Parts: sequence; structure tokens; C-alpha cells
Amino acid sequence: MNSFSTVNERMVLDAMRQVIDPEIGCNVVDLGLIYGVAISGAKVRLQMTLTTPGCPMSESIAQGAQWALLGIDGVEEAEVELVWDPPWHPSMMTETGRAVTGMR
Amino acid sequence: MEASLPISATTNLTPTRPATGTSPLGLNAPAIKLPLAFMLTGLAALSVGASWIVIQPSILASYHYNQNVVALTHLFVLGWICSIVMGAMYQLVPVALETKLYSERLARWQFAFHLVGFIGMVWMFRAWNMKQVGHFGTLLTIGVGLFVFNIARTLWRVPKWNVTATAVTAALFWISLTVIAGLSIATGKCVYESTEGLATKGGVSMLITGLRLLAGFVSRFDAISAMHAHAHLGGVGFFTMLIVGISYKLIPMFTLSEVQSQRRAGLSVGLLNLGLAGSFIAILLRSPWKLAFALVTITALAIYGWELRAILRARKRGPLDWGIHYFLTAVALFGPLSLLAVVLSWPGLPLNTFTGQLENLYGFLGLLGVVSFAIVGMLYKIIPFLIWFGVYSKHIGRARVPALADMYSPRLQMIGYWSFLAGLVGISVGVLCGNERVIRFGSLLFTTSVVALLINGFKILSHAACPQIMPLGTSRSAKPITK
Repeated sequence: MNSFSTVNERMVLDAMRQVIDPEIGCNVVDLGLIYGVAISGAKVRLQMTLTTPGCPMSESIAQGAQWALLGIDGVEEAEVELVWDPPWHPSMMTETGRAVTGMR
Repeated sequence: MEASLPISATTNLTPTRPATGTSPLGLNAPAIKLPLAFMLTGLAALSVGASWIVIQPSILASYHYNQNVVALTHLFVLGWICSIVMGAMYQLVPVALETKLYSERLARWQFAFHLVGFIGMVWMFRAWNMKQVGHFGTLLTIGVGLFVFNIARTLWRVPKWNVTATAVTAALFWISLTVIAGLSIATGKCVYESTEGLATKGGVSMLITGLRLLAGFVSRFDAISAMHAHAHLGGVGFFTMLIVGISYKLIPMFTLSEVQSQRRAGLSVGLLNLGLAGSFIAILLRSPWKLAFALVTITALAIYGWELRAILRARKRGPLDWGIHYFLTAVALFGPLSLLAVVLSWPGLPLNTFTGQLENLYGFLGLLGVVSFAIVGMLYKIIPFLIWFGVYSKHIGRARVPALADMYSPRLQMIGYWSFLAGLVGISVGVLCGNERVIRFGSLLFTTSVVALLINGFKILSHAACPQIMPLGTSRSAKPITK
């Protein structure tokens, strides 16, 4: 399907829920790692962080997020930007994320 | 609760496609085969060592200056602990210090020297053939030299120097001194007999003269004191230094926290170095200053414990997993170990059978208590991590992949923890009483823990042969796709 107009934030978040932080065992959306999504036609840009700077999993998780975006119907190009400001904090997690991880 | 998405919905984008494939741990760490080879070697040595105590519990019931104890100790120290620590360092130092390993090729050569060197040394210690111990020890030393050079060059590239880098540097210095001291002791025991009748001209003559001078120097020191000093260089200088230094990076990473006081962390590493330098000389010379330097080392560990407590109190992650429990238990064992160190350093302590058993307990608790407990805890982080990167990192986002904790059995991990602890208590009581039956009972519990670790290790490794990859959107109960 190539209809650009069908791509929306909900589809992006649903796709991101398939990407986990393997150390914590929770998806990046419920962990509160997604800072922003920008959609322009068939192009998606995602801004996200990780739980700790220098995380050895950073490359894999970022690339996984990119693959997940490219798996959305209508997305032809995707960019993932890792940012560290503001630093991640458990208060950014969803209720589901807190329940899954037992974070404070 | 929905995630907040502050970026506006339309912007000028310059998207890119992902690169094809990923390298394990990005560009920094070596291929997983190298650390895995060290780790499998370590697990094999641990299995042999644990079985050896079950079969021959008398080893720990008698004074430690004999061929069996020395051989068993080197099996644990070189085969189990050093293999794991060196393999893990090739993996963790680049990751922890955000740099790249200097040479993977050198590391592969080191593995070959290490394997041949330690197996030969253990075998020859058992036969009490010190000449051959020296030969195999030389191979091991070449390997250690390659290791030290490789990690030192890696440290040279560290962009931001910190307390972990300082501790790793100190550990490299102490491991170098440890093998030099060990080889010197071996030289002192056999060089006169071994060089008798050899050529006395040219380069060989100079070498023989040098070795004889070294042997003469070593013979000035009491043999048991020299052995104890050598053991402290390795046990405190290499293993404890790394436990302290690396944990300042890894514990915050695993518990989502950060070092609370760089000054406290730096002080703990500094005092540990000072305490060891003084202890080494005091032990070697049988000086009454032994107690003072032991107290400096204990102060360093107390400050370390204080900082670790602060790190854990500031953590964002709630419940601690079993891997961290193993590690913290190891740190807690510094308590009884320190008490033993004070008793054994006490000036004028009578040298009797019970003191000998206390020395056995001190060595046992240090190596199989503190260091091994810490290593097993970290193995539950490192091995799943290595396999996950090798097998699943290229599938994340395209398929459903397991989390690290899904790759092994937490129940077995818990059984392993309690049987390890019960085994330590059992063996400790047996060693104190010099009772072989109690030692055997404790070692059977300890072996149960080793079996639990091996089964979990097999479970983790099985992911390399049969990856548990499922289509996106499937539940955990769905049947995995076998690749």
C-alpha cells in the first residue's frame, strides 16, 4: 500500500511497540523512550532516547526502530535520531511500562 | 497513558535507510567467538575444579603448601577466573570505556598461549615438576604480555578518562607483577638443578647467569611468604581491582543509576592500590606492618561498599535481578574475608594447624566466594548479551525477539544462587574443622550450583543454534520460527 496519507502517529507507535530494550524486557514506547515523531508523506523521522547514555545496545535498538518504521504500510523512508536531552527518567514511562518492569 | 510526541507532524526530512546488518556491540567490541571461547574454557575449568574437590576433599582439609592445593588453586585462578575475566575484559573494556579493542588478532593469540600455558601449569604443579611449570608458565606469561599490551593500547584510545579506566590500568600493572613474581618463584625452585651441565658460553650462558642471580635473590625470601605475596598481587591487584573498577560502570548501567561520588570512587581505588603495595612488601618480608596495610585495603573496600550502597539507593530500576544478587553477595563476602585478613595479619599470630586452616579458608573465600560469586553474577549478564547480539540484533524491529532474561531459566539461576551460598558455608565449616566429610557435602552443593550454571549456559547457547524468532505481533506462546 502506497497511500502516504494513511501513515499516522498511532501506526508509528504501534510499530515501535514491537521494538524492545532486551536488557529491560519492555518495548520502547512503554519505556517512554520515544520523544517525537514527524511524518511527511512517506517519510518518517523518529526522535528517541535510551535509558542510559553509552548503552551498548544503542545501535541495535536504533536500527530495530528504523526497521520497524520501514515495516509500516506507506512508509518508504525512515530516520531515527538518538538524543540524550532531556535525559530519560522512569516518570516518562507509561503505566504499562511501570507494571512490566517494576520501575520506581 | 499515551506517549507524548512533541515534534510537529510535518517537517523537512532527510531520511536514510538502515545499514544492512549489525556488528555485535556496534564497532567497539570484538566478535562474540573470542570472549565466548574464553568463557567456555572458564566454565570447563570450573567444572573440573568443583569435581576435583568432591573426589578429593582432603585437599582443603590440610595445609595448602602442597602440590594438589597449588595445582587446584591455579586451575581455579587461571583456568576459571582468569579465562572469564580476560574474555570479559576484551568485551567489556571497549564497551564500558566507549572505545575500540586495539587488536582482536593479538587476543586470539593470547587465548592460545593462555590455554596451553594454564593446562600445562596445572598438570605440572600436580606432578610437582617445577622446571616444566616454568616452561608452561613462560607460555602463559607471553599470553599475559599480549593481553596487557592489547588492553593498554585500548585504554590509550579512551576518550574520557575515569575511575574505571584508572582501575583497569592498575589491574594491568598488578597482573604483570603477579606473573613476574610467579615465574621468579618457579625459577628459584628449579634453576640450579635444571641448568646443571648446560653450555656456559654465549647468550645461553648469560641467560643461565641471569636466572641463577634471580634464583639467588628469590631464595632470600621465605617460600611460603613469597607464595602468599604472589597470591595477593593476583587476588587483590587484578581480581578485586577489576571487581571494584568495572562495577562502577556496570552496576549503574544495569540498575539505571549513576556513580554518586566520583571522589569516593576514586578514593576506594587509590587506597586499594596503596594497601596492596604495602601488603605485598609486608607479607614478603613477614613484617608486622602487614596489619596496617590490611586495614588500608579494608578501608578501601568499606568506601567501595559505601559508594555501591549510594548507587543502589539512587537506582531507577526497582527489583534487582538474580545476576545483581549474585554480585552483591560477593561484595558482602568482603566482610568475613576482611575479618579473616585482620586475624591472619595480627602480629605474633601463632603458626599452628588452626591458623593453617584459617589461611585455607581465607584463600577459599576470596577465590570461590568473592571473586567467583561476582563472576557468576556477571556471566548472567554477559553471556546472554553476547548471544543476543550475535543472533537477534539484526532481527529487532523486523521480528519478535526474546529479551535477555527470556534466554535462561530464572528458577535455575535461583537454585544456583542458594546452592552456591550453601556450598560456600558447608565447605567453609569443613575447612575450619579440617573435616573431609563436611567439605565433600559442601562441595556437592557447590557442584549443584555449577550444574545449574552449565544448564543455563547451555540454554543461552542453544539460541545460537535454534533462534527463537517470531513474526511481529505474535504472543509469547506462539511457536518460534526456526532459522
